Amino acid sequence: MTSADLSPEEAARWAHRAGLPLGEDRLAVVAATANHIQAVLSTLRELEFGDTPPAPTFDPRWGARDAAV
Amino acid sequence: MQPYELTVAAAAEAIAAGKLSPVELTDSVLARIGEVDGRLRAYATVAEDAARRSAERAEREIAAGRHLGPLHGIPVGLKDLLDTADLPTTSGSRVREGHVPDGDSTVAARLAGAGAVLIGKTHTHEFAYGLITPQTSNPWHPGRVAGGSSGGSAVAVASGTATFAVGTDTGGSIRVPSALNGVVGLKPTYGLVSRHGVTSLSWSLDHVGPITRTVEDAAIVLGVMAGHDPDDPSCLGVPPVDYAAHLAAQSAAGDLRGLRVGVPRNYYFDRVDPQVEAAVRAAVARLGELGADLVDVDIPMTEYVQATQWGLMVPEASAYHEATLRSTPELYAPDVRVLLEAGELVLASDYLRAQRSRTLMRRAWTRLFDQVDVIAAPSVTSTAVRTDQQSVRWPDGTEESVADTYVRLSAPANITGIPSLSLPVGLDDSGLPIGMQLMARPLGEATVLRVGGVYEAAQGGGGRLAPVAA
Repeated sequence: MTSADLSPEEAARWAHRAGLPLGEDRLAVVAATANHIQAVLSTLRELEFGDTPPAPTFDPRWGARDAAV
Repeated sequence: MQPYELTVAAAAEAIAAGKLSPVELTDSVLARIGEVDGRLRAYATVAEDAARRSAERAEREIAAGRHLGPLHGIPVGLKDLLDTADLPTTSGSRVREGHVPDGDSTVAARLAGAGAVLIGKTHTHEFAYGLITPQTSNPWHPGRVAGGSSGGSAVAVASGTATFAVGTDTGGSIRVPSALNGVVGLKPTYGLVSRHGVTSLSWSLDHVGPITRTVEDAAIVLGVMAGHDPDDPSCLGVPPVDYAAHLAAQSAAGDLRGLRVGVPRNYYFDRVDPQVEAAVRAAVARLGELGADLVDVDIPMTEYVQATQWGLMVPEASAYHEATLRSTPELYAPDVRVLLEAGELVLASDYLRAQRSRTLMRRAWTRLFDQVDVIAAPSVTSTAVRTDQQSVRWPDGTEESVADTYVRLSAPANITGIPSLSLPVGLDDSGLPIGMQLMARPLGEATVLRVGGVYEAAQGGGGRLAPVAA
């Protein structure tokens, strides 16, 4: 376990903070899964983003009758 | 040949010529379900009475001269993520058991408007959050997985229990089961096909597309499914395209002269089953024989594919399910439940990094398509694994979960939103299908359909069903 990994007790606090109640029996498996996900996602911290914006998922013209391009 | 074995194009031609009745065709497909679906379990719900009534209505309308087009009277299976009015839509989950939508998804409505006959709802891996579809068996081999998450749809097309089907693809869920079942699966450009009324896994990555027996059939079905939908905020406002007519015109020459096919030097052939690699490289060589220029290409940012895919999908899936994850978490299967719970602990900063990485990838892939028109690669690293298999081991000593290995080659086209067409290119020594994917720039569906169509014709035409005994 690296210093960034969550212990089961820490996973419980984080879930509580997120408004997600987790039973005692869920803590170990959720912590392990969350730590694995975090390990995968952490590679993105290598990227130099500069002023790169997030990919848009929304067209502000949505709903307008003449929205067709 | 039995009617259930006909492709969409062949059935449409026979119906238009008065040689085949829609009632005969639907009867044949329903009888086929009776013969094989007890074992294969492609269907979650079969709407037998409604299907027969639709077929009878199609027959009357066509006889009266009101022919709606090539899908009129053609049987279709819809993945159980797509809302269908008055027909259960369960998303493969106990969470939605007995859920009956009030209205059709846009795709279901468009297909019904084109006269297609809804046979039923096909099995999906629970909420599309997996690549196995454990409910369904692979018709090529009883002990192998169907793939997923659109496993039911792919198996229905491969086994003759649907003339065509519809699936969704967030990390390969159309292309993976299509490749594993020896059928054609198209993940269109992001936003080309409406997702209104389709249960979401990841808003950033979800796509809806056809699963068919031939490339020509995919073009026909896409032409009906695609197009602007004011009810879907991410749906592109592009003019309708007659993909089938384009395919016919572009295929007339029968060759691929003037076309540049990119062959990846990295990523897509790394840690791939040798028989899959051999079959795909042989198919690529065939494209060269058919006149295409083969160009080595380097795929950009491959070390960030998995992180970008997960960084988008994992938190979005958890957000979609946040209410039921709190009210009825025990109704989710364990593999889905733990991902949804863990997904709530992903930091917003990591989600934003994934969104920004997506922008970088999109720019890099745009530059890639300056060099080539199409990229050809394996659809999946392996053929269908055994149903009890959890992982695959590679010669370099690494071990990869089945889910990870099945997503690996699919994810880039989900992240970049480019169209990707999977088509069969052979069988391995166990008789299991191998698929090749063809990718083009955004809204390049006509290009992938052209390349796939010319290849398929040169190989003697597609449309082969899995050898399932009745």
